[in-house]
Amino acid sequence: MELAVLVTVLALLLIAGVPVAFSLLGATLVTFFMMDMPPVAVFQRMAGGMSVFSLMAIPFFVFAGELMHRSGIAERLVRVAEAAFGRARGGLGQVDVGASMLFGAVSGSAIASVSAMGSTLMPMMKARGYDADYAVNVTSTSAICGLLIPPSHNMIIYAAAAGVGVSIGELFVAGIVPGLLTGAALMVAAWLVAVRRGYPRGTFPGWMAFLRALILALPGLMTAIIIVGGVLGGMFTATESSAIAVIYTAVVAALLYRSMGLSAFLDAAVQAVKTTAMVLLIIGSASAFGWMLALLEAPTQLAELITTVTDSPLLILLIINVILLVLGTFMDMSPLIVITTPIFLPIVTGLGMDPVQFGVVMMLNLGIGLVTPPVGSVLFVGSAIGKVPVEETVRTIWPFYGALFVALMAVTYLPALSMGLVGLMR
Amino acid sequence: MRALARFLRLASRTLLVAGGLGLIAMTAIIGWQVFARYVLNASPSWSEQASLVLMIWYVSFAAAAGVKEGFHIRIAALSNALPRPAARILDAFAQAVVALVGIAMAVWGGELIMRTWEHVIPTLGIPRGFAYLPLPVSGALIALFALENILEILNPAVAGDTEA
Repeated sequence: MELAVLVTVLALLLIAGVPVAFSLLGATLVTFFMMDMPPVAVFQRMAGGMSVFSLMAIPFFVFAGELMHRSGIAERLVRVAEAAFGRARGGLGQVDVGASMLFGAVSGSAIASVSAMGSTLMPMMKARGYDADYAVNVTSTSAICGLLIPPSHNMIIYAAAAGVGVSIGELFVAGIVPGLLTGAALMVAAWLVAVRRGYPRGTFPGWMAFLRALILALPGLMTAIIIVGGVLGGMFTATESSAIAVIYTAVVAALLYRSMGLSAFLDAAVQAVKTTAMVLLIIGSASAFGWMLALLEAPTQLAELITTVTDSPLLILLIINVILLVLGTFMDMSPLIVITTPIFLPIVTGLGMDPVQFGVVMMLNLGIGLVTPPVGSVLFVGSAIGKVPVEETVRTIWPFYGALFVALMAVTYLPALSMGLVGLMR
Repeated sequence: MRALARFLRLASRTLLVAGGLGLIAMTAIIGWQVFARYVLNASPSWSEQASLVLMIWYVSFAAAAGVKEGFHIRIAALSNALPRPAARILDAFAQAVVALVGIAMAVWGGELIMRTWEHVIPTLGIPRGFAYLPLPVSGALIALFALENILEILNPAVAGDTEA
């Protein structure tokens, strides 16, 4: 009964357009009043959910991404990808995916990726006769690669939600191959669509030009090495390495690329604070909501329900994927990580799946939710930058959804993709 | 009325800029922590806890500003699909929910502080409740911003005025 109230109130508030964080808190509070419990506990959970040391990496990741976006580092990455992939049929589509993967390796946020790549590549694509909907589709879906390719701030949220025993370093390593695979699948989709639409072929600028672009981009790419290398080498915590990445990016932007003044720097900080406030408020309210769910024994009930339907591990994993995909269409990524990790993690580890692999599955699965309406923040940002209505982009996005789904199935059912490199570390 | 709108706009802007400065300070603190550990060979005991408290502070205030600036994620599909007058009522309802949650946050967040004022954060020597202090303050600001949003939704002429 209480569970029904909790879920119904949440659904109604979400549909009415109440912001996600306030919908979660509102539904939790209503249920608390109904059960006659002291509401102070709701806010204690909320504050507790936000006061986690590892979450401090989030503002730093977002800040570093904003600085890269504003300092011209993103454009330099695009030039590397252009030299490498530009000559294929519809080459700019390949460039877009490749550049998004590179950007994913230096920043941890899909929103930062779609805004950086979109503002650089979409005008280029339109100028060379590509359709706007294609530009938006490629840029938005390939931003998902950045969730898998380390570093990724959502992996930090997952590690915090999974509790002790899930190492951020291992999650980072586990995401590498699935991230490359997802990028490859998207490149195939982008190529197929480009051929059907008869987009122009680019020219290969030669190895010298490629090397030149790579060298110019190298100071930017170093950020990836600082964050991932620092964490894996055990020199820094994820928080420390992301803070160092901010300092490093600011120095590179100010001194080497000479592309950033003080006011642009402050602007980047303010924008990063907005994103962080949005994400952390949602994490806090999702912690309170998830705790309420646990109090009402929803996780055990759902687990029992799934295991009575089938006992085949293959089917259970499929069911969990479908549930997450459906939830992902109308909820944002971070609250779903916080709420569903405690529910599904015991089930999948019971089936013998490593928590690290499940983390990767979750990143990709919920990442797909970021490009599906009605709530798909990455697709919305992409559409806004490309100046195409979301309804129009969705009409032609299916090949890209297909590619993402194939990658999701591969990552779910082939543990070696995620765990192969991790195995070498352990 | 118009003065209030202008004041709240200024307030939300100030909260965000203060947040940006908070983030820069936090970067400096963690940077100092690494510098101290590897160069000075002395890890400061306060730095991690201090930046966590700092983050809770600026995040809470920026979250309140987010109500004014409208950057919190929400599903706008129904509101977009409805005709103008109905959409206006729905938006006002959504803001009323935000205001109520803000008031709840102010009341019970305040109670949380009183309950945790006795506990001291060991590395900082300040009460745990201090870390939670922004919760009720932010709750009150959220309620204020949301109420002003309702006034703007129901009376768009005023909003148009202050926009300029």
